[in-house]
Amino acid sequence: MSALWLVLIALGLLFLRQYVVVVLAVVVGYVYMVWGDGRLENIVLDGWDALNQDVLLPIPLYMLAGAIMAEGAIAERLIRVMRALAGPIPGGLAVATCLSCGLFAAIVGSSTVTLLAVGAIMYPALLQAGYSKSFSIGLICAGATLGIIIPPSIPLILYGVMTATSISDLFLAGVGPGLLLMGLFTAYAVTTNWRRRTGTWQLRELLDSLRGGIWAMFMPVLILGGIYSGQFTATESAAVAVMYALVVELFVYRKLDLRGLLRVSTETTRLLGGLFPVLMMALALNKFLTFEQVPARIVESLSAWLSSPTEFLLMTNVLLLVVGCIMDIGSAILILAPILQPVAEAQGMHPVHFGIMMTVNLEIGYLTPPLGLNIIVAMTAFRENFWFICRALLPFIGLMLVGLAVVAAWPDLSLFLLTP
Amino acid sequence: MKALLAAMRRAEVLLTTTAFVVLIAVIFGDVVMRRVTGSGIVWARELGVFANIVLTIIGIGLASSDGTHLRPRVFDRLVPRDWDPAMTRIQEALTAIAFGTLAWIAYGVVQETIALDDRSIVLRWAVWPIQLCLPLAFAAGFVRHGIFALDPALRPGDRGEGDVP
Repeated sequence: MSALWLVLIALGLLFLRQYVVVVLAVVVGYVYMVWGDGRLENIVLDGWDALNQDVLLPIPLYMLAGAIMAEGAIAERLIRVMRALAGPIPGGLAVATCLSCGLFAAIVGSSTVTLLAVGAIMYPALLQAGYSKSFSIGLICAGATLGIIIPPSIPLILYGVMTATSISDLFLAGVGPGLLLMGLFTAYAVTTNWRRRTGTWQLRELLDSLRGGIWAMFMPVLILGGIYSGQFTATESAAVAVMYALVVELFVYRKLDLRGLLRVSTETTRLLGGLFPVLMMALALNKFLTFEQVPARIVESLSAWLSSPTEFLLMTNVLLLVVGCIMDIGSAILILAPILQPVAEAQGMHPVHFGIMMTVNLEIGYLTPPLGLNIIVAMTAFRENFWFICRALLPFIGLMLVGLAVVAAWPDLSLFLLTP
Repeated sequence: MKALLAAMRRAEVLLTTTAFVVLIAVIFGDVVMRRVTGSGIVWARELGVFANIVLTIIGIGLASSDGTHLRPRVFDRLVPRDWDPAMTRIQEALTAIAFGTLAWIAYGVVQETIALDDRSIVLRWAVWPIQLCLPLAFAAGFVRHGIFALDPALRPGDRGEGDVP
């Protein structure tokens, strides 16, 4: 009966348009009052303990590094490189869009910023080159989601924090699935636009564009290379990324001044101020659930009920696809990862592999109605109606589902870079 | 009320920017020192964590100020549009009450920390001055959302886009 009340209270608060942090605070308070020792101070004490750990430090640092890099003319520079590289192949402009989205999203880490920045340049260019409206919008919206899985990725850090999984390992494991999805989008772009080519390869243009874009393109290499070679931890590589972004934008590209830096820092803090209180409450709830051995009991009851790991994979993926339609990726990971990960591990899944599969799955939620964030942003950016964009996204959602199935069924795709 | 909101925002921007600078400086300094001298700064992580707490907790105010707290909109369409003004007041009033309650609880926790003379492990600093950002941030949330409930015109609009980058 108490559990039913808890669900009703949470639904009631959502109906009354409460923020996730308020809903979680009330849920945690209720849980402490009904099943705990009744001391509400524990909400703040457990929240404090949750924040008082250095595993969270990469989050603000990577977010700031991405925001600094996004401030300058980086999108334009990357697109120029990709157009010079891919333009002459069949469907070249579409391939360049896809690669630009993947690389830009990997650097700035934000799906909507990628959609707006790359879309502003590539959408008119694609239409001008004769690509259909529907294909162009679908490609840009889907390509923009790649940053969620290509490291450095904030959702992967959140998963690592909530499940005590190595963030460095998650970053390395994101490379394979990220490349797979990018490869699927690229293959689709080539096959559906086989007859469209723009110009021939120009060595001079390629070298010129590389000179302009190489500094930005080096950032993911620096982060991943540093982690893979064992030179940096995730936190250290995040600090190095911030300093690198500052040097590049202040002294190489010279697109950023101190006023701009203050704006970027405030903008990043605004995002952190929305994310961290949710993280704090989710970790407090997680601590209580772990203390009460709730995940262990869920594992026990589900293990008896599930007949095979395949059944678990199917059920989890359907659940996550539904959740992705109605909830943002951060909240979904914070709430569901600590509950589902122990079950996945009991079913023989590697925790890193499960984290990657969960993130790829929730990435699809950016493109699905009714609340897909990229649909909503694209409505404003491309001035098209909701259902037109939904239809445009259908083939790309199909490709992502294929990618998800491969990621789920083939653990080595995620785990091949990890040292045994 | 507008002036009060602006002053609160200025104070929050100043505090969080300072915290960001400290966070970057100590963590990057630690990396550099480890490369140069072979041993890092022992207190860097602890100071970095404190800076991160101040940054992200005081940042709650900036998220409120710009309307970017995460919020699922799944039930929004169940209510007729005519009800939106009333729903907004209720939303803000409830959020203010929640923040006010959290501020009160956090204040009690800080008092307990002072009484116990809790100190950090490496720097041996008293923890309560850092912990004080919790009741302060929640109290600021209470004041800010309370003002939004009284005068929804001062509200920034609901941009809680959920784009965890």
